Amino acid sequence: MGVRTYRSTRRWWHPGRTVVLGAALALAAGPAALAAPVAPTPSGSAAPAPNGTASTGARGEELFRQNCASCHGQQGQGSQRGPSLVGVGPASADFQLSTGRMPIAGEIPQPRRGEPVFSAEEIAALVDHVASFGGGPQIPRVQPGSLTAGRALYAANCAPCHGAAGTGAPLTNGWIAPPLYDATPVQVAEAIRVGPGLMPVFPSQVLTDEQVNDLTTYVRRLRAEHLDRGGNPLGRLGPLAEGLVAWIVALGLLVAAARWLGQRAGE
Amino acid sequence: MILDRLARAVDDRLRLSPLTRKALAKVFPDHWSFMLGEIALYSFVALILTGVYLTLFFDASSADRVYHGAYAPLDGTTTSAAYASTVRLSWDVRAGLLIRQTHHWSALIFVAAILVHLVRIFFTGAFRKPRELNWLVGVTMLLLALANGFTGYSMPDDLLSGLGLRIIVSVVESVPLVGSWLVALGLGGEFPSDEMIPRLFVTHVLLVPAVLVALVSVHLAMVVRQKHSQFPGPGRTEHNVVGARFYPNYTLRSVALFLWVLAVLFALGGLVQINPVWLYGPFAPAQSTSPAQPDWYVAWGDGALRLFPPWEIHIAGHLVPAPFFPGVVLGGVTFLALYAWPFLERWCGGDRRAHQLLDRPRDHPVRMGVGVMALTFFAVLVVTAGDDILARLLRVPVYDLLNLLRVLVLVLPVLAGALAFLLARALRRGDAARLGELTRADLRAARQPADRGDAEAAADEPELPAPDRPGERVELWPDGDVWRWRYRDEPAGVAILSNRAVLTEQEAAESARLAYPGVDHVLVPGPPPPPLPGRVRTALRRWGNRALGVSLLVAALRQRRDRRRGGHGDGPDRR
Ligand code: HEC
Ligand code: HEC
Ligand code: HEM
Repeated sequence: MGVRTYRSTRRWWHPGRTVVLGAALALAAGPAALAAPVAPTPSGSAAPAPNGTASTGARGEELFRQNCASCHGQQGQGSQRGPSLVGVGPASADFQLSTGRMPIAGEIPQPRRGEPVFSAEEIAALVDHVASFGGGPQIPRVQPGSLTAGRALYAANCAPCHGAAGTGAPLTNGWIAPPLYDATPVQVAEAIRVGPGLMPVFPSQVLTDEQVNDLTTYVRRLRAEHLDRGGNPLGRLGPLAEGLVAWIVALGLLVAAARWLGQRAGE
Repeated sequence: MILDRLARAVDDRLRLSPLTRKALAKVFPDHWSFMLGEIALYSFVALILTGVYLTLFFDASSADRVYHGAYAPLDGTTTSAAYASTVRLSWDVRAGLLIRQTHHWSALIFVAAILVHLVRIFFTGAFRKPRELNWLVGVTMLLLALANGFTGYSMPDDLLSGLGLRIIVSVVESVPLVGSWLVALGLGGEFPSDEMIPRLFVTHVLLVPAVLVALVSVHLAMVVRQKHSQFPGPGRTEHNVVGARFYPNYTLRSVALFLWVLAVLFALGGLVQINPVWLYGPFAPAQSTSPAQPDWYVAWGDGALRLFPPWEIHIAGHLVPAPFFPGVVLGGVTFLALYAWPFLERWCGGDRRAHQLLDRPRDHPVRMGVGVMALTFFAVLVVTAGDDILARLLRVPVYDLLNLLRVLVLVLPVLAGALAFLLARALRRGDAARLGELTRADLRAARQPADRGDAEAAADEPELPAPDRPGERVELWPDGDVWRWRYRDEPAGVAILSNRAVLTEQEAAESARLAYPGVDHVLVPGPPPPPLPGRVRTALRRWGNRALGVSLLVAALRQRRDRRRGGHGDGPDRR
């Protein structure tokens, strides 16, 4: 599987955005900003190949023992290094595994999204195993919902943390609410029901299944390029990125034009 | 023909020709930095052009309106008419988004160009007597540009700008005693009032633009009346202006710049998205979004609000709300300082004379230091306004970042100012022509205080008529029934032709004496031959001519060959 860097997984950066972001970063924080941390190879990446004779239950238990128990305990009871998994349920396990958050590598304050470490079957087996600890929400079934209702729900419930345009924003203690452009509809629904990390849980008393469908439909639409009808979205970073472009690109060009015209006259 | 007659007819009635003749002969200095103000002027023209188009479709009202249109996530949603019409402009009106985005980009560049222009004026001392009045007009225009940018930004009633408006309202509210009264007066009620958008609209499209147009006219009229200042150089004195005549040379240059400005603005408007209000959603008092910034030209205020610690300050037993200091006090002090600078400099520096020649930035190290310090300070504030973006991208806690910026905002400006001061002094004392050529000895010398009587005293000496300056002379000659003159400095290789023809030799001599007091006059028989074009030019032209000749020859030969072969269907003279 090799070494994996988190930079390579940030696919929500379109090439065009990278340029502008790079400029913003370099300008505001110097080259240090560009040195993204490199994650060590996850210990479980060399998991044994699927073993045809073992049942899924045994397979899940084995994977769990190899990859998760060191932090979450043999029975999922938790330890110094990871919380208890009793009662978290399949939705939480599927979210953490399919977004590549678990198993986390070393001591980082917030698990990050990345390529999933396990295959789909392995994830299913692990989820079954975590589900056997009991309790917790099931993996939601997602159906197409209403865009308009989804937009309103998103503005009321999610925009304060994830940003109206879905770009993500910092929270307390160095945590961030991540950008939403990579999450699949099922992952969005899982996040809503589970509330990973600092995100609040939205149980069915707060958001009905239908409303969750509306939300997933809208969040899915947010990543669509054609919402950026005006051209290059500059990473949807808002007025300061626009200001940077105005100064560097536009004013730069115009001052150069003035110099050129002035020079032509002076010869 | 018709134009000629029309011109004569108008002139017969209004007697404009003396005025226009004078205006067309006005001289503009050649240095490029004199065109920075024009970038601002032309962005303003672009703003008016695009703004008029927007006004046709924008509905400045907070009444409920159901949006129906191409933007599916809002289709059928009830919002304010202002917001609905802005989304319509962006998705459903032909060319609406292009014009809207161009308007917004023009606004950003308008203010940026004003600022760059102001920096040029500041560092070259162009605001000194007799141009203080025009400095005041300029600062007022900057203030109005900020105000108009902010009102325009707030009108669409989207979530992002609504948050900004709420912050401004809370800043005004924090003014002791009169704050809430001012807010009620301005908004006609509590914060999200129904009066708000119509009032913003009238301010944005009528009041402020009208005042701006008036001030731009005054500004330009003063430039014409007082004539341009210019950088010192051979043949340039306190009594003349050397450069290109307004018509035709400068007109062409200026029109070219206008087209450049339009091209860049519309290219941005078409290619780079700005303020996608449909993504932000309509403003609702209970909602918020993050990250949230205002446009860059008000971001310094936002940054100051974020930086200021949440202290509870009591004055005369009253609690003064925290936004008062970074909001009202900082803004007030900034603009007061800008207004007062020419007078401050005069009182502190004791230089009361009129100046037509500009300083080079290095000539005045104190001004340099203060200017760089202020610019650094505001730059840090603008960066601070983006703390939430930076914190997300760098994955550092916002509070740590804020604490770091709190230190930087106090330390960086002082360091940058001191450095600029020292560099300017080193440049002025030493003989390095530019920054890259400074030596260590220059820098060391700059750290010692000035010994009296060096460059400062020399530079301040009033210019006296020079009895004999070798190599300099003024040449006069008759040209048909008018007289012309030119200034010539043979050693420096300078020849400057006067822009105006006069009727008598005496008049010509007088105007030459005004521009170059004390330089000897000589009569010459006729106009001097035009200067030889530069070497590159000549070579280019020669090669161009040759290439043209060769290609014509080739074309003729080919045509003949075709004709001789009897043509293959598309020969020019085949029937
Ligand atoms: C290096 C230690 C470590 C390893 C290895 C690890 N985890 Fe975790 N896990 C954590 C920590 C720490 C958290 C809490 C993260 C947070 O605050 O969001 C967590 C959270 C979780 C959660 C969410 C718990 C909740 O409350 O919703 C699940 C589910 C989970 N881990 C599953 C797994 C699985 C399955 C594996 C094995 C593939 C695994 N973890 C491997 C440390 C670890
Ligand atoms: C209090 C702030 C907060 C709110 C409100 C919130 N989130 Fe989150 N959200 C977070 C945080 C923090 C994470 C990251 C959790 C982690 O990395 O463990 C997250 C993660 C997510 C993810 C996973 C993204 C990924 O790429 O892996 C999705 C999807 C998501 N949230 C959707 C939503 C939706 C939909 C809503 C509205 C119903 C919402 N969130 C409301 C803070 C919030
Ligand atoms: C000093 C000059 C001006 C500045 C700095 C300025 C700035 C702005 C800004 C920043 C916006 C927000 C655009 C957006 O929604 O993204 C705006 C909107 C608007 N402006 Fe101007 N403007 C100026 C002059 C004018 C003039 C002269 C007119 C009309 C004749 C005008 C008409 C409008 C209208 C109708 C809108 C609202 C439409 C919309 O938001 O899409 N503006 N202006």
